[in-house]
Amino acid sequence: MNGSSRAISRTPRPRREAVRVGGRNRAGLALGAVMGAASLLAARPGLGDGAASQWWAPGEDRPLPAYIEYVNASGRIGIVNAAGPVDTTGHPFFEPRGSNGRACVSCHQPADGMSLAVSSIVQRWADTAGSDPIFAAIDGANCPDLPAGDPDSHSLLLERGLFRIPLPWPPVDAEGRQIRPDFTLEVVRDPTGCNTHPVYGIDGERREVSVYRRPRPAANLRYVSSSRFGVTPFIGKTGMLAAVDPETGRPVNMNMMADAREPTLKTQAQSAARGHLESPAPLSPRELEQIHALELDLYAAQAFSNQGGALNEPGGPSGLGPEALAVGRDGVLGNNTTQFVIPMEDRWADLPEGGDAALRERNAFRESVQRGHDVFFFRTFWISDAMHINTVGLGNPIKRTCSTCHGMHMTGMDTANGWMDVGTTNHPFALEPAESPWAEELPELPLFKVSCRADLPPHPFLGREIYTQDPGRALISGKCEDVGAIVIQQFRGLAARAPYFSNGSAASLRELVDFYDRRFNIRYTEQEKTDLVNFLSVL
Amino acid sequence: MRAGLLLALGPALAAAAPPAGERLSFVSCPIIRDTRTVPCWLSDYEGDRYYLTIQSDVSAAVQPPMLGHQVLVEGVVADAPLICGGIVLEPVRLSVMPERDANCSTMLPADDRFTIDFNPRPPGPSAGRLAFAPDPAAPPPAPAPAPRGPQTVELYFDFDRGVSFRHPAELGEILRLAVQIGATRLKITGVRGAHRLSDGTLLREAPAAGRRRAEEVAGLLAGAGLELPAEVEWADGEQEADGIDDWRSRRVTVELTP
Repeated sequence: MNGSSRAISRTPRPRREAVRVGGRNRAGLALGAVMGAASLLAARPGLGDGAASQWWAPGEDRPLPAYIEYVNASGRIGIVNAAGPVDTTGHPFFEPRGSNGRACVSCHQPADGMSLAVSSIVQRWADTAGSDPIFAAIDGANCPDLPAGDPDSHSLLLERGLFRIPLPWPPVDAEGRQIRPDFTLEVVRDPTGCNTHPVYGIDGERREVSVYRRPRPAANLRYVSSSRFGVTPFIGKTGMLAAVDPETGRPVNMNMMADAREPTLKTQAQSAARGHLESPAPLSPRELEQIHALELDLYAAQAFSNQGGALNEPGGPSGLGPEALAVGRDGVLGNNTTQFVIPMEDRWADLPEGGDAALRERNAFRESVQRGHDVFFFRTFWISDAMHINTVGLGNPIKRTCSTCHGMHMTGMDTANGWMDVGTTNHPFALEPAESPWAEELPELPLFKVSCRADLPPHPFLGREIYTQDPGRALISGKCEDVGAIVIQQFRGLAARAPYFSNGSAASLRELVDFYDRRFNIRYTEQEKTDLVNFLSVL
Repeated sequence: MRAGLLLALGPALAAAAPPAGERLSFVSCPIIRDTRTVPCWLSDYEGDRYYLTIQSDVSAAVQPPMLGHQVLVEGVVADAPLICGGIVLEPVRLSVMPERDANCSTMLPADDRFTIDFNPRPPGPSAGRLAFAPDPAAPPPAPAPAPRGPQTVELYFDFDRGVSFRHPAELGEILRLAVQIGATRLKITGVRGAHRLSDGTLLREAPAAGRRRAEEVAGLLAGAGLELPAEVEWADGEQEADGIDDWRSRRVTVELTP
């Protein structure tokens, strides 16, 4: 076991001595500053071997304990491994599989809530001079044939934590049959050069579309993959065929990836091994079982808040901390006052005002978290023009709350088939640098023009001509109505894995909240925004 | 839905409202009016304002329309007090028109004259069940007898639209019925809908609507494992358009034969 990452008994957990790299990169950070930023991080007091040791390199052969915590800027994240300690030697999640030296753990780091924070990526670049397997050309570069070792070639990964996702165009179904899409796709802007590339471009030899997305957490997947709610042979939001588990033939919840392209944890692992890991051979059935079992046993959530203290202490809110996830029920709709999305039982409302300054400060923060929960759960606003929420019989607009869409008990995902378009990738809502003579930043992501067939109904909110950075689910379904629709991500371990949204466009939780505030004209007060950020930071 | 709705009556908007029992069929912009609780949906037609429905949840029999689109309204004027300032249509059938219409953008602010005291679902989280779900304290319904012999299921569609969020349960029911009766044959007929509006206009769906629906339903059932010899047909529903429940012409009929 690594000296700075030790198994800790269930409760209470003493603070670890290891120090986490707490800095984050901002979208738009000048590339020339990447190395400098990393150097600054490394030079901060308390960093050194301990910081580097939080990184799990493939094939390290250290055991994964039953419980482990890692420091982040907001406190500490806890990882529960419900099956108990796992010997990672030879384990397919931890061992490099393919030609580029990556393992699953490369992009699903325990310290980053089993995802990958951009701060870790920057640190890794500094520690390895860009030679870590995560920077492999296949998808760790903006396009595979860009010069290795040049931060410009990896700008989307270094600045926004985005990996290239090459997808076939036109799309193909689960049997590999080509789908006739409801729209044509045109590259309007190609800052990475990959979508107009003679090999990798849409019209290139491989006929691929390159989109750029964040890796999702490989934790709490019992919830993410649950089929206990709303899973039928037909997708609840569209009536189309649900994807099926190739092993059982049963429909699945299609809630796992940004575009729901892989139906199960096993098919995702197999696809990732062949793609991200460049494995020459498929994973064996036994290896798939090992990965599947591990992923269902891992739970990640913030366990300690620097300002709010222990998040899992007896008598505290029952929905906080990773242990709560380990024992919680999956497949439960929490958008109601009998289950709640994140149960808090008002336990941090109206806390005592007495005590020393530290206690008063802690309690003030906890009350802010409670208010943030209430903003999330009860504060209404008008949700408008959001595909797959305003189109499912509720009307457009609807006066509802955050938890209307983020309704899954314990995770804040949608309960099933959870892709929606709230504007994170589609014009005019997507966060992009303004085009103006005064703008210093330039757009970093590709821009596609989607032209929907004239003989079919238009997209109900965007019409027949749509501009998007990432067509999302539509690249799989071929449906115009799915353009820009992205599967809702889980809310847990957020403090460990900035930036946010599938395209990494929100560098911080505050930017995430600000996006929604602008998008839906919510007009949150400053206090509401602070409270909401504090709430999200302890999940 | 309206049973139990209490309201403070606003001023009547029309001097001569249509008589109770009159059927109306029109295409117009929807209007949303906020209230202290959930918003209500209205629409204007020939100088009168009609109440369509309120926001609740997916269990509602009448689901709200969308701003940004016109709505096809088919309803019967009810002998009932105004709701949210609108003449009540009961029953009413709504279909969002597929093309966008930027003129349909009217949001009215909350106005204390218009309140909804019966609230099947607050605007925030529910109290634990859908607004129109059966009362959990009520005795469970008697189990339906096992289906026997040929079965017919009709699926209804929004104007010019295909399969949508309205259909997963019905498609699933077809799969169940097919198993229960041991179906050996399947006939699917898609109909292009037509509507006789109150002003006499004949409103027709796109020419390919019936065929598109039939083929879509056939493909979905086959994809879900209903591998039966299927007869797929389509028809024009124009002759059905008489201004009375013309929404029924926007349909697919699925016939299962043992």
